[in-house]
Amino acid sequence: MIAESGHYALVLALALALIQSVVPLIGARLRDAALMNVARSTALAQLLFVGASFVALVMLHVNSDFSVANVYENSHSMKPLLYKITGVWGNHEGSMLLWVSILALFGGLVAAFGNNLPMSLRAHVLAVQAWIASAFYLFILVTSNPFLRIASPPIEGRDLNPVLQDIGLAVHPPMLYLGYVGFSISFSFAIAALMEGRIDAAWARWVRPWTLMAWIFLTLGIAMGSYWAYYELGWGGWWFWDPVENASLMPWLAGTALLHSALVMEKRNALKVWTILLSILTFSLSLLGTFLVRSGVITSVHAFATDPTRGVFILLILCLFIGGSLSLFAGRATSLKQGGLFAPISREGALVLNNLLLTVACAVVLFGTLYPLAMEMLADFKMSVGAPFYNLTFAPLFALLLLAVPFGPMLAWKRGDLLGVTQRLLAAGVAGLVAVAIAWGWATGGSTLAPLAIGLGVFVIGGAVTDIVERTGLVRLPFATVLHRARGLPRSAWGTAFAHAGLGVALIGIVCETTWNSEYIATMKQSEVAHIAGYDVKLDGLFQRQGPNYREMIAEFNVSRDGETLSVMTPSKRSFTTRGSSTTEAALLTRGASQLYISLGDATAEGAIAVRIYHKPLVLLIWWGPVLMAFGGVLSLSDRRLRVGAPKPARAKPRLQPAE
Amino acid sequence: MTLWFVFALMTVAAIFAVLLPLGRSGRVQDQGSEVAVYKDQLAEIERDLGAGLIAAPEAEAARVEIGRRLLAAAGSKPAVEPKSSLKWRRAAAVLALVGLPLVAIGVYMPLGSPRLQAFPLAQRERGSGSGMAQSLENLVAQVEQHLEKNPTDGRGWNVLAPVLERLGRFDDAARAFRNSLTYNGESAERRSDLGEALSAAAGGVVTAEAKAEFERAHALSADDPKANYFLGLAAEQDGRKDDAVSIWRALLAKAPADAPWRPLVQSSLARVGGGAMPALSDETVAASKDMAEGDRNAMVRGMVERLATRLKQNGDDVEGWLRLVRAYLVMGDRDKAVGASSDARQAVANDADRLRQLNEGLKTLGLDG
Amino acid sequence: MTRKQRRMTIIGGSLAVLALAAGLVLNALRDSIVFFSTPTMVAEKHVAPGKRFRLGGLVQPGSLQRGDNLAVTFEVADGNAKLPVAYKGILPDLFREGQGVVAEGALDANGVFKADTVLAKHDETYMPKDVADALKKQGHWKDDYEAKPAATTAQGNPQGAVR
Repeated sequence: MIAESGHYALVLALALALIQSVVPLIGARLRDAALMNVARSTALAQLLFVGASFVALVMLHVNSDFSVANVYENSHSMKPLLYKITGVWGNHEGSMLLWVSILALFGGLVAAFGNNLPMSLRAHVLAVQAWIASAFYLFILVTSNPFLRIASPPIEGRDLNPVLQDIGLAVHPPMLYLGYVGFSISFSFAIAALMEGRIDAAWARWVRPWTLMAWIFLTLGIAMGSYWAYYELGWGGWWFWDPVENASLMPWLAGTALLHSALVMEKRNALKVWTILLSILTFSLSLLGTFLVRSGVITSVHAFATDPTRGVFILLILCLFIGGSLSLFAGRATSLKQGGLFAPISREGALVLNNLLLTVACAVVLFGTLYPLAMEMLADFKMSVGAPFYNLTFAPLFALLLLAVPFGPMLAWKRGDLLGVTQRLLAAGVAGLVAVAIAWGWATGGSTLAPLAIGLGVFVIGGAVTDIVERTGLVRLPFATVLHRARGLPRSAWGTAFAHAGLGVALIGIVCETTWNSEYIATMKQSEVAHIAGYDVKLDGLFQRQGPNYREMIAEFNVSRDGETLSVMTPSKRSFTTRGSSTTEAALLTRGASQLYISLGDATAEGAIAVRIYHKPLVLLIWWGPVLMAFGGVLSLSDRRLRVGAPKPARAKPRLQPAE
Repeated sequence: MTLWFVFALMTVAAIFAVLLPLGRSGRVQDQGSEVAVYKDQLAEIERDLGAGLIAAPEAEAARVEIGRRLLAAAGSKPAVEPKSSLKWRRAAAVLALVGLPLVAIGVYMPLGSPRLQAFPLAQRERGSGSGMAQSLENLVAQVEQHLEKNPTDGRGWNVLAPVLERLGRFDDAARAFRNSLTYNGESAERRSDLGEALSAAAGGVVTAEAKAEFERAHALSADDPKANYFLGLAAEQDGRKDDAVSIWRALLAKAPADAPWRPLVQSSLARVGGGAMPALSDETVAASKDMAEGDRNAMVRGMVERLATRLKQNGDDVEGWLRLVRAYLVMGDRDKAVGASSDARQAVANDADRLRQLNEGLKTLGLDG
Repeated sequence: MTRKQRRMTIIGGSLAVLALAAGLVLNALRDSIVFFSTPTMVAEKHVAPGKRFRLGGLVQPGSLQRGDNLAVTFEVADGNAKLPVAYKGILPDLFREGQGVVAEGALDANGVFKADTVLAKHDETYMPKDVADALKKQGHWKDDYEAKPAATTAQGNPQGAVR
């Protein structure tokens, strides 16, 4: 009953999406308001039915209904309730259902809150959204149907992969999908603009909140995933330049560029064609990520089971949407009214530089991800492109970008005063240099580049602070005025400052962790003490414990520093009988932003155990940075006021410039 | 029937969603336009000017720029008022009324299985024997579920524990033996069974935990053969070979001549170098051992042979293949086991489901590639 | 600045960044790419000691030896050739004899492959794709490996969810 109703609801969503793909477009052509409004009601109904379908699948998992193949293959009646629920999207079919549910959610949001849009634009956007939805409903129903049944149901399920039985799975994929799929809205807006043949500054104003929302979720999703890998995989790595990670990083880079270029378009009515192209590219990269993960063309810890039909189907969707949208772009872009040009030294110019560096960095990641695949197909030899490649290519480009970050928000629109900005950034620069000097003196060993990178991070943070200080007039003006101005300051300005500072924070974390992390790997016996980074870690003993659907061996460590006991850490190794596999649960001890990390290896016959202990200085900054960035995004999103590009008072007497 | 009723209701709701806006004339005021955006932008300049964030000349410049955009937007706005096209609305309504149900049924029918019953955990626990294969595993699962609800049923645990151990689920077996101890009371036999399960779970190592159980069993009944044997094994694994020899020698000395475990203890003794054994003459031992084993082997071989012939004729029975492979492995004939597993793979190669089942079974037997 | 100058500045800047990126990529491709080899390929090509590559194959049953302080040696085989591997550290949870493995490192002067990473696999049915392809090519692809992807398909596998 539940299974079949969920299944049928999904089919109805497909039928509705098909109607939504066609009728509103006819309505827009005929200028018929009723036909155009069909888009809204169908989008909302679609959300209702897909939502029902998703809820049905969740209930099936919760009830452990093993007459449903998907439940049988990924669940177990003894599994804790939380993992019964999160297991819904811990497998290919369920995660695809989550994917389309989020797509329908965004469609529904546009339908419900898109009152500020012209009716024909809204109809176009929702129709394009329905094309994407139809393609993916078909994909799910035909190749990855989560509601397929087993005629003679088995009595027990096969359990979820133990690595996935973790709280991280509850949050990471939904976040990431909210990001990935959220970019479909800007894609639909771009296609709608191309179809209508009309594009102006207002378009950017409408599309920006959606892009920003998607960007916030994607930022958090990537950070979550990274932290999850860090504590769950048991060897303390947090980014592997794995193709699937790259697949999430690329839309993030393109999406970040899109956010900035839409800003230029909104304020100055320039960069219009480029912004449209970026919208298309960002979502195309999201689709490419979906394809890479699910088609089995790459070897990755993340990859789903390989199935050629699925791969071919997604490849078709990919070609259809990327190919179709790019041809539409090529056909229409020249006929769009071009925006104006502007001076290289200006806020706009800085944002163009930002876009240039971000897209080129994105292209480098794309190259690194696809090059091994291409070489394997064309030249028939295998290779892997890993961290060394990205350190040599991505890192310098990003360093350049970060160097420019503090300048951007301080330059005025239209024409900036580079010299003046440099002078005002002097304090931040000095702070950066001091940081370099301190890091140099403090550090023992490690790359010589590390102190410089820390200086860069401090400079970026300093730049963000300087920007706020400048705008509020702190230092120069009386405190009351400052307070008044701070209150009058648009929240998007605060958002920018937080997001940029977040970059600097993350950079400092990354550099500290990679350069000065220390590790201790050895076999430890009971009462043996390991010394690492000033901590004394003593193995108190090994215990066995029975969990709900696993058995675990726990090692108890007593951590002390200078003879003072700090904490007890209990890493463990769990073995899951149903799948016959085991996971390593690392133990973490947080001290400030630094962490002590213990994970277990195999126990030897003599009762000793292989142990890895890491000390990771300032490692938490790596994730605090993105959180800060997302917080900036939220601030900016909550700024409902519409801003325009007014030039700042320049040194010379301001002269009116013709608007372009 | 209720299912079809739900389907019908859902379909009607979907059709309604399409028809609803078609019935209305479409409120034109319910939309925004570029003009609104630019007017907002103009208002924003005034606010910024008031707050002192921008100076008057800059505000003026921005105003001019936005004014241009505003003019352009107002100018490009087509004067054509929205119109209604009744013909097309009717077509859309027909599409919703006919096309939507057709697509829904057309897609659902080949994919769905409306006749299948749900099979949630709650229902399984009620113990419905709805004609599914009552394999050993299913029986075990049912007993387990029964015990989950009635954990104080000592007899149940007593029955379940050895079965679990035979199925290789040693951790569960140990838990079952513990429960059996709790609800049936102490006995040397149960203690040593628990110890055996614990060491089996540890891959044959008599862990400290297991040893404690054997010691308790030994305290309860000094003659318990299993406890004695495993205490000897523990001594051997700890490297105290002399202790192992003396424990096992004492065990053999007290053992009845026809005890089935005699050969096991003797071979263990031989392993630790406690070689010659007293009490019984070697010949007697050998004879009794040969007798028993010869008989058993002949019987087992017969059974295995029969199974193999049956499977040659009909190779669909995955369980049968696994039993055959397991039998060969038990008989120590690894080559035959490997042969049988590749035969089995060929026999079920066309059926992905069975093949998977087979491979998994083989893996648990330690025969995976 | 005239319109033309502004346009030229922006185009010039873009080209400069692109050229920089292209230069970086080409430079990185020269020495940061790691190739994949099987023991047979190592034997045929006489890989120079010290050159990093990834070695894939099956762990030769019975070859795993544990030394002091987490030192391990084992052999990786692909049917035609074997290569001894030395590694110091904790092996991944799913490292087993007879199973596929991928190790990264370089040969030393004695022809022993010094691995600094042994890749962790997250599913017991997992056969590293590189290894599977290489074995296939050499005709050592046995039916029982073939059976594994089938099993994986049905299970729907790790993490993926994930992205």
